[in-house]
Order: sequence, then C-alpha cells, then structure tokens
Amino acid sequence: MDQLASTQLLLSALVLASIYALVALGLNLIYGTMRLLNVAHGELMMLGGYTSFWAFELLGVGTLWSMFGAIALTAALGALCYVTVFRYVVRNRELAARLESNSLLIFFGFSIIIQNGLSIAFSADQRSYTYLNGIFALGDARVELNRLAVLGVGAAATAACVLFFRFSRLGLATRALIQQRDAASLVGINADRIQLLVFCVGFGMAGLAGSLVSMTETVTPFGGFPYTISAFIVIILGGLGNLTGGILGAVLLATIEIYGVALTSSAYRSILVYGVFIAILFLRPQGLLGRKMR
Amino acid sequence: MPDPLHVDLLRVDLLQAKNLCAGYGEMEILKTVDFSIREGSITAVIGSNGAGKTTLMRALSGLIATRSGAITFDGGVVSGLPAHERLEKGVALVPEGRLVFPDFTVHETLKVGAFSPRAHEGWKQRIEDMYALFPRLLQRKQSRAGSLSGGEQQMLALARGLMSRPKLLLLDEPSLGLAPMMADEVFRQLRTIRDSGITICLVEQNVQAALDIADYGYVMEDGHVKMHGPAAELLTMGSIRESYLGL
Ligand SMILES: Nc1ncnc2c1ncn2[C@@H]1O[C@H](COP(=O)(O)OP(=O)(O)O)[C@@H](O)[C@H]1O
Ligand SMILES: [Mg+2]
Repeated sequence: MDQLASTQLLLSALVLASIYALVALGLNLIYGTMRLLNVAHGELMMLGGYTSFWAFELLGVGTLWSMFGAIALTAALGALCYVTVFRYVVRNRELAARLESNSLLIFFGFSIIIQNGLSIAFSADQRSYTYLNGIFALGDARVELNRLAVLGVGAAATAACVLFFRFSRLGLATRALIQQRDAASLVGINADRIQLLVFCVGFGMAGLAGSLVSMTETVTPFGGFPYTISAFIVIILGGLGNLTGGILGAVLLATIEIYGVALTSSAYRSILVYGVFIAILFLRPQGLLGRKMR
Repeated sequence: MPDPLHVDLLRVDLLQAKNLCAGYGEMEILKTVDFSIREGSITAVIGSNGAGKTTLMRALSGLIATRSGAITFDGGVVSGLPAHERLEKGVALVPEGRLVFPDFTVHETLKVGAFSPRAHEGWKQRIEDMYALFPRLLQRKQSRAGSLSGGEQQMLALARGLMSRPKLLLLDEPSLGLAPMMADEVFRQLRTIRDSGITICLVEQNVQAALDIADYGYVMEDGHVKMHGPAAELLTMGSIRESYLGL
C-alpha cells in the first residue's frame, strides 16, 4: 500500500496522462468539427516517432528539436488528407449523411497504408534510442529526464491548444462550428478554413505525442494501435468532441491504468482499459462531462 | 410635391432573384422563383407550411446552393457565393428555429456575431447597442444560450444577426413559438431596425402582423410565388383573407 502513495507512481500517471491528453485533443477536434473518427491516430504517432528516431540516429538531433519536425510533417499530412479527401466528403450532402461510418473506413485505409509504408521503408524492427536518460531525484522518486520532458512538453502543448481554442478569434470560430454548423456560416465563419486548421492541429498533436513517446518507448510500424484504442477510450470518457472533457478523461484513464497495474500486474492492463471502456458505454454513454443527447 | 409613383420608381432593388431554383438532394423545392426586395423596405413572405419559404431564405443567404437562375445583391451577382461570403457583402439570416450556439453565453454569441471583417470595426460598441435594444439580453449576459427561453433565444438570434452590420436582414418566422406579447415586441423592434436603415425581409405565419408592418408582400405556394403586391393591397384581397387570415 505504501507503494501506492509514492511520487513515482503519481509521476508515471501524469506522464501517461499528458500523452493521452495530447492524442485525445486531436481526435476530439476532428470529431467535434466534422464528425470524423480518425482511427489512424496511432499511426500518426508512429510517424512522429520515426521522425525523431531518424533525426537522432542520422543527424544527432535531439527530440526536443526534432519534435518540431514531427509536428510539421504530420500537420502537412493532415492538410493533404483534408484537401484531397475530406473537403469533398464533408461538402457532399449524401456522403455527409454517412460521415461517421465512412470516415472510419477511410481512416482505417490510411492507417494500413501508413503501417505498410513504414514497414517497407524502415522494416518491422523495433527502434529506440537513448536521449535525456539522466536520472532526476524528486523527493523519494527517481525519474528519467526524458519522462519529465514528456510530461512538461505534453502538458504545455495541451494547455497551449486549450488556451488557443478558448481565447483566440479562430478558437471562438472553431467552437462555434462544433456547436452549430449552419449558424457558424451565418455569422461569417469559413468552415473550410477552420476544418483545415483543425486537421493540421489534430494531426500535428498526434505527431508531437509520437515524437515524445519515442524517447521512452520503442517505435514500430504497427505500434500505434494501442494508442488509438486508448485515445478513443479517453474521448468517450470525456464526451465526444468535448475538449476539456478529453483532458479529464486522459487523467482518469492514465490513473486507472497506472494504479490498476500497480495493484494487480501488467498482465491486467488491457482488461483494465477495456473494462473501463465497457463500463462507461453502459453507465454513461454520453461521457462523464457530456450532456445527454437531445 | 413629387408624384408618389415616380418616387416609387426611383427606389432600387437591394436584392433580386431571377428564375431561382434550389432544393435538397434529388428534390427540387423552389421552381423558378422571381423575387425582389426594395432597399429600405420591409418585405413579408407568407404561405402555408411546406410552401418553400424557409428554402427560399436558405437559398438567399447561401446556406443551400442555387441550382439555376441568379441572385443579385447590391449590384453584384452573389448566387455563386457561400453563406459566409454573402454575409460579408451584407446579407444576414436569422434562421428558423433560431439555431443558437447552445454552449456560448449571450455575450460570446454577440461577439461571434461580429466575426466577419465587415463587422469588426466598433464591435464592442455594437454589443452595448444590442443590450440597449434588448435589455433582457443584458440581464442574461452570462447565461448559456441553450438555457434561455424561446423568446430570449429569438432576441439573441436577432441581435446576433444585427452584430454583422447587415444591409439586408432576412428573418425566418421570428415570432414562432412566442407569447403574443413577446411577438408584438419583436414586430415593434423590426420597425425600429428598419428605421435605422436596414432592409428587412421576413417570413411569417402570423400573416396579419407581418402584412401590417410590411410595405410589400409575397405569397408562396408549392415552391412558386403565387402572388405579390403592396402589403396593404394583399390585406384587402378576399383570397388572402380566406386562405391565410381565416376570415
Ligand atoms: N433538409 C431538407 N431535406 C429535404 N427536404 C426538405 C428539407 N427541408 C425542407 N424540405 C422540404 O421542402 C419543402 C419546403 O419546405 P420549407 O422550405 O421548410 O417550407 P416552409 O418554410 O414554407 O414551411 C417541404 O416539402 C419540405 O418537406
Ligand atoms: Mg419554414
């Protein structure tokens, strides 16, 4: 029981929560504005991870720099996806009626393309590197610096996004679009521009999350799937499309996962995570913060 | 003294739709509608349920595409423009059912109402003007739009439309679901708004009240304009009194 009160465990939970928060943010933005379910989110993380891995191996560039490259790469991919595919899918009324299920299939296709593209280009080998692995003593806890970096950068990026969407002009427009599409056009909001922005930010945050994770975990072409699942659980916990709810969901799932595993064993991780998922779907399908559908 | 007929000819159309066709999916709802709105007037559109009045408003504001025909506004063709670009030119719609942003406060709603570049200048002062015009909104300044009563939401939707500094304000059933006192209040405000220089076009089920404040009226039926003329003349016509006023 002593172990449960340790700073070590608390830090682990916070590190995981900051990754989940970042990933959930991207999913929520894209779902909230366009009702698109991006199941390729984990693969985008792996793209970010490979960017940082190769930047370190080939160029000797540290993750705290290469993460900007990972953001740029995935954000550009987001723009490309939007401009080539989703702009037309969202605009076409007949396709738009079946958007949630169609988007699932389209993104599923993307995720297979990314997985196989990565394994053709870089082989299926597990990749990892050693960066910022100094130990930092914090009270009774000892943490690697890279895990502190994940926490710091993840929390800062999440906070920056939330502040942007809360207080900026474009953020106001995005929240308007999430609530009422027609009314948003009627006050002069260009939905197309906001959707492009949302794709760039959502994809870019996934790339950032992957880049951060690559400091502490291995990167493989097929390593993204568990993150996609966790991210979906997080946004369902927080209420689909609810940005602040997603952060709460991230903290909650990370806490359950870390403390649950500490109480039982790591073999139970999946059972815990899926258990929470199923419990939420039964007890509060609208999410913890979500309002009941009218 | 100027000849009244002559004065009338001098006044210009702010908006004109010629052979307008529009609809949803496979369905063609508006079939070659000819429609115009005089600058500085109040124009009323009446007609039974399902006649296509809302569809006309959505087509004029750009929420649905023009399939054929043309809409000109303030000297330029706007039929190819999306809603946000038409708003920038000065066409604002207060939609049927109000379509408020449920999670925004009253204050945030007014702020987002001034989102377009044309509305940006002096937006803070304009919010104060809205609170002066609708004191009820000032009292509910920090309330969520979704928690307001129907009448308050209607006022909010109207104020949001005015925040964009429109030249033409289109209103789709502004008195729907309101208590008679509230409805009277809305009609009084429409007069005030017109007198401040904004042209108004409103769709109404309350035919008597609409034609009372309007200068000109259109009667729609089954996606067509069935009749049109000065509001005072329409009010005296037997067929209108029978079909829409129940007299
Ligand atoms: N979103 C829609 N999709 C398909 N048909 C619609 C839609 N909205 C309205 N309609 C149809 O268009 C016709 C005209 O409707 P509408 O313009 O709302 O009439 P009004 O406002 O005069 O009552 C009706 O037959 C209605 O069923
Ligand atoms: Mg209608």
